Amino acid sequence: MNVATRALWNPIVAKEYRTRMRTWRSPLAITIYIVLLGGIGWAVFAALTVSATGFGQGPGSLGQMLFTFLILFQVALLAFITPALTAGAISGERERQTLDLLFVTPIAPFSIIWGKLLASMSFIALLLVISVPIFSLVFLFGGIELDQVISAFLVTAVTAMTLGFIGVAFSTVLRRTLAATVASYGAAFVLLAGTLLWGTLFPTEVDASVTTQSAPPAITLISPVIPLLTIATNLPVTGYGVRYKNVNNSGPAILNSSGGGQQYCMASPNGGVMCQSTTSTTPGFFQTNSVTAIPSGLFKGWQYWQANVVMQLMISLAALLFSALMLPPVRRFHLRRRRAPAPQAE
Amino acid sequence: MIAVEDLTKIYGNRAALDRVSFEVPEREIFGFVGPNGAGKTTTLRILAALLEPTAGRAFIDGSDVTRDREKVHTRIGYMPDFFGVYDQLTVGEYLDFYAACYRQPKQRRRKIVDDLLALVGMTERKNQQVDSLSRGLKQRVCLARALVHDPAVLLLDEPASGLDPRARVELREILRELQGMGKTIIISSHILPELTELCSMIGIIDHGRMRATGPVHEVIARLSSGRRLHIRVLDEKDAALEILAPLPAIRHVEAVNGTIEAEYDGDERTASDILLALTQAGIRVSSFAPVDGGLEDAFMKATSEEVG
Repeated sequence: MNVATRALWNPIVAKEYRTRMRTWRSPLAITIYIVLLGGIGWAVFAALTVSATGFGQGPGSLGQMLFTFLILFQVALLAFITPALTAGAISGERERQTLDLLFVTPIAPFSIIWGKLLASMSFIALLLVISVPIFSLVFLFGGIELDQVISAFLVTAVTAMTLGFIGVAFSTVLRRTLAATVASYGAAFVLLAGTLLWGTLFPTEVDASVTTQSAPPAITLISPVIPLLTIATNLPVTGYGVRYKNVNNSGPAILNSSGGGQQYCMASPNGGVMCQSTTSTTPGFFQTNSVTAIPSGLFKGWQYWQANVVMQLMISLAALLFSALMLPPVRRFHLRRRRAPAPQAE
Repeated sequence: MIAVEDLTKIYGNRAALDRVSFEVPEREIFGFVGPNGAGKTTTLRILAALLEPTAGRAFIDGSDVTRDREKVHTRIGYMPDFFGVYDQLTVGEYLDFYAACYRQPKQRRRKIVDDLLALVGMTERKNQQVDSLSRGLKQRVCLARALVHDPAVLLLDEPASGLDPRARVELREILRELQGMGKTIIISSHILPELTELCSMIGIIDHGRMRATGPVHEVIARLSSGRRLHIRVLDEKDAALEILAPLPAIRHVEAVNGTIEAEYDGDERTASDILLALTQAGIRVSSFAPVDGGLEDAFMKATSEEVG
């Protein structure tokens, strides 16, 4: 068995698949997931067809709106499911008193973590795959291209993966599954909503007289919400994460004119600025869309989703390395300084 | 096969192990005895490379447990005092999983599982859910698990705790069979009479210190307060007591429920001299049995000393 095969199919993975799919919980979770996702899709569709309002008029706009709701709801669902799948991965073994039995086998601690992650992520992948038929309904209305669906699914998958890796990290370092689960949900909230909130509370401050566009703080890109919105709407991020100073309150003014379109910005009642793009274009397959590209900062010129994927992968890698370092029963390093040996009693 | 040198483990300001040393030659069964919290589990966990000692060294088949952990893991089979099993797995699948963890080839695993189930007498339970087994059967499955990679050394932490008398006898038979297969076994237990019967060597640990170690009969002889004889005579009990009491080797003698119990200093030659004295006096002896003061006696003496 070569290294790649061993990495993808170690005994932990096989055992996890076997035990997970034999319980009633997995089919129930799949059923609830599909029912909820299908339900929200149907509800949004029904509401939009009745009100005939959306981002604009026509079936294309309806498709865009439906896709936006579905993909955001899917991320929210996965944010609930993933910590539950992974927060007990290691702490559960510890509580069940089976972890020592694994430690005395030649399986490396990293392989134990990797096996647990792979099994959990496979289940998430299964959920994503079975949601494809629901998402395909969007194509009936148009307004969404295949590349948008693929990039949105990529962002969703990477988000779930990040939450999974964080869950396993908490599971490794915290002895109790309950504590690891609470911490994982907390981390999921921070990752999805907390970073978003940061952009509202601590936006990038820009002088309104400056003609270049500004992006929200880089930390806000950790949340998949903004990237998913830019993918679904093909519109630039406006009115979020940027605060304009010295704004002319008398009326609308063209502040920015760059790349593929212009933005009309005007003062908002809360002292900020509301902007609206005048044009939007549909890019080719994974081609850079300059309208939805990040206008400035660390990831200047990148698509929001690209920056999000990179940042989440970095978090995942950090969580994975942390788990691998913390899991071994005999560690080569210690977080706390070791006390000097007590004097020997004679 | 197993060598422990000045092993010390300190938690905070408390020494769980204090310069513990002992050796176990190949194919021996070493009984590790001590009260709760004496340091038995700590020692076994260090030997299983699950815990790092504060000081001292330990070797399994020449491999340092702190430096050659991977090699040590291939040489040992470890059975902890408390362990769990996975639900949703049958006994066969459970053993197959661990055999896979020990990188046994898939073609061989079926035979390994069948052989081990036969060894622990659980062939007919192969398809039963491992989670549904009784404690005794789970102990057997865990022992089989520890053997999936055919280790040379077995580290068994309280394997008989919680077992009924029949299960204990069966476990003892299995361990004897494993010794016959060439395994070196360290077994910690509270059940002293069983260790006396099963083990060839023993170590008595208390408050983290090894109080006595060596072959069982030597440790008992060294620590026992005196040797005992149970003597039965035909109708001449009082005469026998009169003959025995003045003998210089006899420390104490009394009749208890028709049997004369005599405590003496000396060895087997002394015992034969005592028998000779009785028969030469015309006492008809129907039974003359040296009674081992036993491990219990040795254990009590070894663990009664105050720790400074």
